[in-house]
Amino acid sequence: MGILTEFPEMGRADLRDFKKGIDETFRLFTREYGESIENFFYPLLKFLGWFERLIVATPWPLMILILSGLVWAGSRSWGLVFGTIFTLLVVGYLGMWEDTMFTLALISVATMLCIIIGIPLGILMSKSDRTQSVITPILDIMQTIPSFVYLIPILMLLGIGKVPGLIAVCIYAIPPVVRLTNLGIRLVDKDVLEAADAFGASPRQKLWTVQMPLALPNIFAGVNQTIMMALAMVVVAALIGVHGLGQEVLKAVNNQYLALGMMNGLAIVAIAIVFDRVSQKFGKRLQKHSEVIHG
Amino acid sequence: MRNLLATTTLLFGLAATGAVAAECGDITMAEFNWASGELMANVDKLILEEGYGCNVDLVIGGTTAIFASMNEKGTPQIAGEQWVNALRELLDPALAEGRLHAVNTAPIMGLGEGWWIPPYTKEAHPELVTVLDWIEHPELFPSAEDPSKGAFVGCPAGWGCQHVNLNLFKAFDMEAKGWVLVNPGSAAGLDGSIAKANEREENWLGYYWSPTSIIGKYNMQAVPWGVEYAGNEHWDTCISQEECTDPQQTSWIQSEVFTIVTDEFMQSGGEINDYLAARVFPGDVMGAMLVFMADEQAAGEDAAIEFLIEYEDLWTTWVSEDVAAKVKAAL
Repeated sequence: MGILTEFPEMGRADLRDFKKGIDETFRLFTREYGESIENFFYPLLKFLGWFERLIVATPWPLMILILSGLVWAGSRSWGLVFGTIFTLLVVGYLGMWEDTMFTLALISVATMLCIIIGIPLGILMSKSDRTQSVITPILDIMQTIPSFVYLIPILMLLGIGKVPGLIAVCIYAIPPVVRLTNLGIRLVDKDVLEAADAFGASPRQKLWTVQMPLALPNIFAGVNQTIMMALAMVVVAALIGVHGLGQEVLKAVNNQYLALGMMNGLAIVAIAIVFDRVSQKFGKRLQKHSEVIHG
Repeated sequence: MRNLLATTTLLFGLAATGAVAAECGDITMAEFNWASGELMANVDKLILEEGYGCNVDLVIGGTTAIFASMNEKGTPQIAGEQWVNALRELLDPALAEGRLHAVNTAPIMGLGEGWWIPPYTKEAHPELVTVLDWIEHPELFPSAEDPSKGAFVGCPAGWGCQHVNLNLFKAFDMEAKGWVLVNPGSAAGLDGSIAKANEREENWLGYYWSPTSIIGKYNMQAVPWGVEYAGNEHWDTCISQEECTDPQQTSWIQSEVFTIVTDEFMQSGGEINDYLAARVFPGDVMGAMLVFMADEQAAGEDAAIEFLIEYEDLWTTWVSEDVAAKVKAAL
C-alpha cells in the first residue's frame, strides 16, 4: 500500500547530488565563458549607457517636444499628443522625471533589440514548419517560466546592472513579436502569393514586397505586445540593479510606502498607455494604407 | 536537616518537572526565513522535542512580521534569532513593558554588518588594511558600466542599510575619490554580484553581513573601519536616516541579536528558558554550518541533525546530561 501513497522518489542523497551536479556544471561554465559572454555584450552596454545619458541629459522641454513629435508622427492624433504632454508634465511635477527617463531608455532599447532579433526569427519560422515546431515550445517556455528562475544564471554570467536587466526583459518580451511576425506572414492570402509567382517574383522579392507589407499590421500588433510586456518587466529588472521607476516600486514594497508605490506604478502605466495607443494607431494607419492598395 | 533538604530538593524537582510536563505540550516558535534563522529554529525544535518532550510548531516569517505577531498576538512564543537594530524603536518599549523578554542577548557570536572584500583581494594588497586605505584605490574595483570609476556595491533599494551606505559613501567622500555607489536591486542581486566576482577572482568591495553562507563560502573578509564609532546619537539621527546633511566618518553600529520570548512563555516556560539562555552559537560554528547548508542545499531540519551530530561537544553544554542523553538517543 505504501508504494501507492508514497511517491517513489529519487532519494534524498541522489537528488542532492543531481542538483549539485547541475550547479557545479554551470559554475564551471561561468568561469570558462563568463568573461567572453560579458565582452560579447559590451557594445550593447555601451550603447544603452550612452542612450540613457543622452535621454537624461536632454533638457526636459526638448524631451517633451521630441516625444510629442514622435507621438504625432505615429498617431496623427492631437488628443494623444496633448495626453502625452500632460502625462509627462504630471510625472515630472511629482518628481519622477529622471526615473521615468531611465525606464523609457531601457524600454526603448529593449524594444529595438526585440525587434531586431524577433522579426528575422519570425520570418525564419514562417518559412519552415520544422523551424516553427522547434521555436514555438521555446517561446512558450520563455513566456511562462517564472522570471526569477532565469535571473540566477543571468546574474552569475553577467553580474548586476543594465545588460542583465535588458536580457531578462527581452526573454520575457520577445515572444509576441516572433509569434505575430510568423502568423502575419503565414496568413498572407495564397492567391496573392500565386499572383506574385505568376509575375516571376523571386523569393526575396516575394518576402519584401508582398508578404512583409501585408503582414505589417500583425507584426505591429506583436511589437505593441512586446512593448507592453517589456514594461511589465521593469520591476523584475530592478531586482538586478536596473535604475528607474521599478527601483522605486521595490523600495515602496520593502517599506510599505503606499503613495510611493502607487505613484511610480501609475507612471509605468502612463508610459504603457502612451506607447500602446500610439503603436495601435500606427498599426491601424498601416492597415488602412494596405487596404487602399490591395482592397 | 539533611533529610529536610533532600525532601525540599525532591519536591522542588518534582514541581519543576511537573510544570514543564504540564506546560510543555505545544510550543509555537518562529523560524526566520534565512539560513541561520532556519538552522537555529530547527536545532531548538529537535532539542525541545526530543530532550524536553515538547511539541514544537514552527512559524515561518521575516523579522517584522514575526515581531509584530509576537508583540500583538503573543504567538509565536519564541523567536530565536531576532535582529534588534532595525526594530529597536518597537522592541525597547515591548521589553520595558514586559510584553516580551530577551532571554539571550547574544545567541550568535561574531556577527555584524559592514564592508567586505574577497580574500584574494586582501592577500594581493597587504599594504591596504582599513576602509580608509581601500577607498583610495577605486582603480582596483572597476565598475562594469564605467570602468574609469570604482564600484562600491551598496544595499538594495528600500532596505534600512541603504541610507547607511549612502551616508557613509558621502562621509568618506567616495564620489570625489572616483567611486560610484552601485544599487544591487535585491538580496539576490547582491549575492549574485559577490558570487560572480569570486568565481572569476575579480575584486569586489561592498556591503554584507555575517553570519551568512555567502560570507562563509567565499571566506569574505570584513574590512576594519580605521575610524571610531561616532556614537548612537549620530547614528540614529543622521547615518541611518534618509535626510542626513552632515554625515561623519564612523564604523558600523554593533549589531545585536536577541532570543526573545513572550511574557506568557517567560512565566510558563520553566527550564526551557534556561536552555534558550545557554544556547550560544560561536561565529565560526555558525559560519561552517551555513556553508554546509549552502553546499548541500540542506533545509533547516537536515542541517539541524548535521549540527547535533557534528557539534555534540558544543550543544551538550547547553542542556543537562539527562536531556543530552535523550536527544542523543533520538539521533
